[in-house]
Amino acid sequence: MNRMSILKNAAPEKADKTLSAKSRIGRPWSLRVRLLTIIGVSLVTLWSLVAVWMLIDVRRELRTALDDRLAASARMVAGLVMQLPRESMALGKPMESALDVVARDGLACEVSLLRGEVTMQPVARTTSSPGLADVQPGYSTRSFGGKLWRTYVLQEGGIRIATADRIDVRESLLRDIALTAGIPFAVALAGSLLLLWFGIGSGLRPIEKVRAALARRGPSNTAPLPETQAPPELRPLVDTIAHLVGRMQEAMARERRFTDDAAHELRTPLTGIKTHLQVMRLATRKADGALVAQQALADVERGVLRLQNTLDQLLLLARLDGSLQPAPQGRSFADAAARLAIDDAQAGQPAKGRVRLVLPNRTIELAVPESLLVCALRNLLDNAMRYSTVPSEVVLRVEMDENQAVAFCVCDEGPGLSKADCALATQRFWRRGTASQGSGLGLSIVSEIASRYAGSLQLRPRNPAGLEACLKFPENFTHQTTADMAPASGY
Amino acid sequence: MHILLIEDDELVARGVTAGLRLHGLTVDWVGTAAAAQAALDSFHFDVCILDLGLPDEDGMALLRRWRTRGQSLPVLVLTARDAVEYRVEGLQAGADDYLLKPFDLDELLARLHALHRRAAGRSVNQVNHGSLSFLASTGEVALEGARIDLSRRELALLRALLQHPQRVLSAERLRDSLYGFEQEVESNAINVHIYHLRRKLGPNIVETVRGQGYRLGAAGW
Repeated sequence: MNRMSILKNAAPEKADKTLSAKSRIGRPWSLRVRLLTIIGVSLVTLWSLVAVWMLIDVRRELRTALDDRLAASARMVAGLVMQLPRESMALGKPMESALDVVARDGLACEVSLLRGEVTMQPVARTTSSPGLADVQPGYSTRSFGGKLWRTYVLQEGGIRIATADRIDVRESLLRDIALTAGIPFAVALAGSLLLLWFGIGSGLRPIEKVRAALARRGPSNTAPLPETQAPPELRPLVDTIAHLVGRMQEAMARERRFTDDAAHELRTPLTGIKTHLQVMRLATRKADGALVAQQALADVERGVLRLQNTLDQLLLLARLDGSLQPAPQGRSFADAAARLAIDDAQAGQPAKGRVRLVLPNRTIELAVPESLLVCALRNLLDNAMRYSTVPSEVVLRVEMDENQAVAFCVCDEGPGLSKADCALATQRFWRRGTASQGSGLGLSIVSEIASRYAGSLQLRPRNPAGLEACLKFPENFTHQTTADMAPASGY
Repeated sequence: MHILLIEDDELVARGVTAGLRLHGLTVDWVGTAAAAQAALDSFHFDVCILDLGLPDEDGMALLRRWRTRGQSLPVLVLTARDAVEYRVEGLQAGADDYLLKPFDLDELLARLHALHRRAAGRSVNQVNHGSLSFLASTGEVALEGARIDLSRRELALLRALLQHPQRVLSAERLRDSLYGFEQEVESNAINVHIYHLRRKLGPNIVETVRGQGYRLGAAGW
């Protein structure tokens, strides 16, 4: 297996891994599950706390109530015993065994006669009684035969009444109560979770509606989003989406306009070239066609030049447009760049010396690559020379303006532009009126270069006629080298 | 055939004008919608070539305005914008044909002839008038089967007369068809061409309607 095939095989594996990792980590919970979890957990926690609280309360109340019952029973038995003639008890000799009474409700009771301080004689007791002879008066909890009992002892008028009930009976009673109250509670909790599931579903339906409305739209649908009856919470989201869609459509329309314009700009000179070539072919067949053929040839050359110019401009603009790449770095001197631009601009012109250069008294260095600065200045000069008639002067003035920015101002005496046109002129493929010489990209390029290097391009009509185009780069993008005198003016 | 070329790009306009003139058509070129309107108001044209990207007005708007005013001049739209919706929009606005830049001069010529022919209600390229036969696309003329050579102006004159065989055409109208509006011509210039046409195609081929103009007559002797 050669290296390439190893690489080829390795790639899908990696892709698989990243995919599965993504699905494992990236899959968010559905809104419904999320809401249900949050509400459900808080509901269960809260209600459980309440339940525990209630259980503790009930337990305490139950204990008090049962204790009261023990005391009440003791008092009742004491009352009954008091009514009996004392003799009937005292008469009898000490009984061999106490009277055993069958008790029914789990309550144990012992009745004894007190003789002196310590001895006592049991009189009667329930069969379930564990033997309460040595229990202290009042309440206490004792263990008899491994079982816990709650006891109450009442001593009154020589009679001792001891009552007791079993703790485990009490506990089972408490369990029964908890169970009786708890089952409906649990059912209600489960029911409310179920209702919550459906409730959240129907609560989220507006989102689904909005989603469906969005899904129905095709990418070419330019209509604004339909006015769905979104609840107030969703309104910002819907508005944001509508806004985003609007901006995307604007961008798409702009792109399309640009493509259309570019097609127009490229196809028009191409059409001219093609037509003139066909004219040439036709003319050479005719006896008197030499002049026409010559003219056509000249036109073909003009067309090719124009096409080349437009292509160059478009490519430059596309490169400048790639805003993802950092702007190319470089430095240039204002005076050198201005001279180069003037040379370039006048190269193809029959009338030389139309451009006058005015320089400041010092050398200015800019953090703009020379090629781009020259290109921008050349475009401004080209425009100035194109739209003004031949004998009139074009001035390129380099100066520091009041904000310590370097300004390259190109002034012509042509027809100028209205204020409204000045605002439009940096748009791509914008051209003034019938002028068809330019590609309509020059000022776009200048403005693009300016914005890439934190500069600006300002156009304003001159008084009484002409246009002033000022390309400025801010001060922090410049630094002075020396105070050496540069030639003051003249070129 | 008198063509009105409305095209803002000088290079293309010069090429089309030169090419069509070499094919014997009379072409007048204007660069703006306003000039086109002025030309149409004062001259007669057979076909119009309309570029949509005009500096002063959208070509489509101009066309729509013409059509709502009842202007029935056949219009061939020329454009560099190739999206289908533009074509549909152009045809709906009242264009008779649509040609995309860059086009072939021969194709443009063929389409112009087709439009011209359709405007006259003919569906074939060849026109037969008595013993005279005329091939509209190439401008070949034959009388009783024998080929006749005609000059460019003579051909334009014959074409104009054949286009409206029943109608009386004024001298100005014929002059438009022959020269376009650019050229200054003397008032009797047409008479020279009528004379040559009668000499080549028979004395009755052009009938003079006194005080009104000229009409197509019988060919041959």
